[in-house]
Amino acid sequence: MGSTPPLGSVDGRVAIAAVGNTIQGEIPGISADELAVEALRITLAESGIDKNQIDGLITCKSYGGFGIDTEIGRLAGLNPAYSATLDYGTCNFSLHLACAVIQSGLASVVAIVYGTVQRSAGNRFTAPLGRQDEASVYGFLNVAGPAGMAFRRHQKLYGTTEADLGEIAVSQRKYAIANPLAIFQKPLTLEDYLNAPYLVEPLRRADLCMISDGGACMIVARADKARELSDRPVYVQGIAQQTGLRDRQNADQWLRPWIGRVADRIYPAAGIDRAAIDALYIQDPTSVWVMQMLEWYGFVEPGGVGEAFRNGDIGFGGSLPLNTNGGQLSEAYMWGFLHLCELVRQMRGEAGERQLDKIGTAQYCSTFGMMKAASTIFSAEAS
Amino acid sequence: MTTEFPYGETEGDERFWRNAQDGRLTFQRCDDCEFVRWPAAGVCPECLSRNSTWVPVEGRGTLWSNVVYHRAYAPAHKDEIPYPVGLVELDCGVRLVTRLVDVTPGVDAVGTRVSVKYTEIGQHGTVPAFGPA
Repeated sequence: MGSTPPLGSVDGRVAIAAVGNTIQGEIPGISADELAVEALRITLAESGIDKNQIDGLITCKSYGGFGIDTEIGRLAGLNPAYSATLDYGTCNFSLHLACAVIQSGLASVVAIVYGTVQRSAGNRFTAPLGRQDEASVYGFLNVAGPAGMAFRRHQKLYGTTEADLGEIAVSQRKYAIANPLAIFQKPLTLEDYLNAPYLVEPLRRADLCMISDGGACMIVARADKARELSDRPVYVQGIAQQTGLRDRQNADQWLRPWIGRVADRIYPAAGIDRAAIDALYIQDPTSVWVMQMLEWYGFVEPGGVGEAFRNGDIGFGGSLPLNTNGGQLSEAYMWGFLHLCELVRQMRGEAGERQLDKIGTAQYCSTFGMMKAASTIFSAEAS
Repeated sequence: MTTEFPYGETEGDERFWRNAQDGRLTFQRCDDCEFVRWPAAGVCPECLSRNSTWVPVEGRGTLWSNVVYHRAYAPAHKDEIPYPVGLVELDCGVRLVTRLVDVTPGVDAVGTRVSVKYTEIGQHGTVPAFGPA
C-alpha cells in the first residue's frame, strides 16, 4: 500500500478528449437548449467522436431556467447511463463533477454542454445576485456592485489604483485581437480605459463582461477511453473547491478569502508547484475577480497586480500568459467555458495565430459569484 | 432548545422595512443563542433554532466599502443615478447593503464610522440609509 494521495488528486485518470463551441454574440431564433446541442454536434463532428460513445451527460442550469439534463438529453437523442444538471455550471464545477462521476465508475465518457441566449432574451442581470433582501430596494444590482466594492476596499488596504486594474482588460484585449471568435477586437489602450466613463464607479465598461449568446461543449473521459477518442487528450492532474456559502455573514465576503483555501489544496492535489504553470486561465465576469484570483493563488503579491503586468511577469507578451482567448471581458460570456476550450487548444497546439510556445501544464481558476471557487490543473502528458 | 410543532413561520424581510417606516432599525435576534441575523430567515444560521424576536439595534457601524451607480440596471433606479451604495458592518454584527447620504464616496470613505439616517426611495417610502456618525 502506498501513501494516501492528497485530496483532489486525479493524477491523469481523467482527460478532456474534445472541446467545441458555436459562434458567439447575438444569435436570434434558436433556443438555449438547442444551442447547447449545436455545440455538442460541432464538437462531435470536429473530433470524429461517435455520439453513441457518450454514456454521461452534465448540463448547466443557467439564468432563465434552461439547460436541464432531461430536456437536453431528449433534444440530443441521448440515453446516457448517467446525467445531471448543475445549477451553476461555470465550467470548473461541471468538470469536477465529471471527474467524480468517471472515477466512481458511473460513466466513462461524459459530455458537458452549455448554451445560453441571454443576450437575445434581453437579460442584463437586473435581479439581485443571491439572497440579498435589500439589494433591489437600494439598487445594488449586477456583479459590478460587489466587485466595485471589493476593488474600493482593496484600494484602501493596498493602495491599488484604477490604472493597475485597467492593465487586466488591456492585456486581454491584445489577445482577443488575434481571436476570430472574440466579440471585442478593437484595440484598447490604458488611456482609452481610463478615459471611459464609469458604469459602477470605480468600474468601467471594460471591467465587466458583456452578456452574449453561444454554446460550448467538452467531452471528458476516463484516460484509456480518452486515448481511444483523441490522439492528444489533455489530462486532469488535480482539482480543488471551496465555498463561502454563508455569504455576507462571512467577514470580507466580497474579497472572497475562501479562494485561498482552493489555492492551498490545488498544487498538492496536482503534485506540482505553482511555478510549473505555463499558462493561466481565470474566469472573468469582471476584471476584479481576475485580480483577486491572481493574488489568492499567489501569482502576485496583494496590491502588486499593476506592476506584474507592467513588468511583463503576467499577461500579453509576459512570462505567464493569462486568458489568451481574451477572456469573458473581450471574447464572449459563456460562463467561463471558452477559457477551457482555449486551454485545451493551446495545449494541443491548435490555437492558430495565438499559439503560445509549448504548454505542458496549465491551470484554470473560476468562481461562482460570491459563493464558490474551484480550480483545475491540466497536463499534456498523462503523468 | 425545544422542538415543537408547529415549527413557526418562515419569515421574510417585511418586518425590517415596516419598522424602518417608523424610524426603527430592527433585525431578528435568536431567542436561544442571541445571534443577530440578516438576511431574514426562519432559522438561526448559528444554532439552527427557529425561535427569534425582531429587536431594535443601535444604528452605528463602519463603512466596509462603497460604489456609485452611474447606470440604472433596473428601470426603477433611472431617476436616481448617480447614486451611492455602501456595505455597512453594524456593531451588532450584521452587514447591510444600504444607500449613503452626506458621504463623499470613494477610497477615503472606506473604513469610516457611519450611523443610520433615513431617506425616501420611490415606492419603498422611508428606508434606512447611512451617513457620517
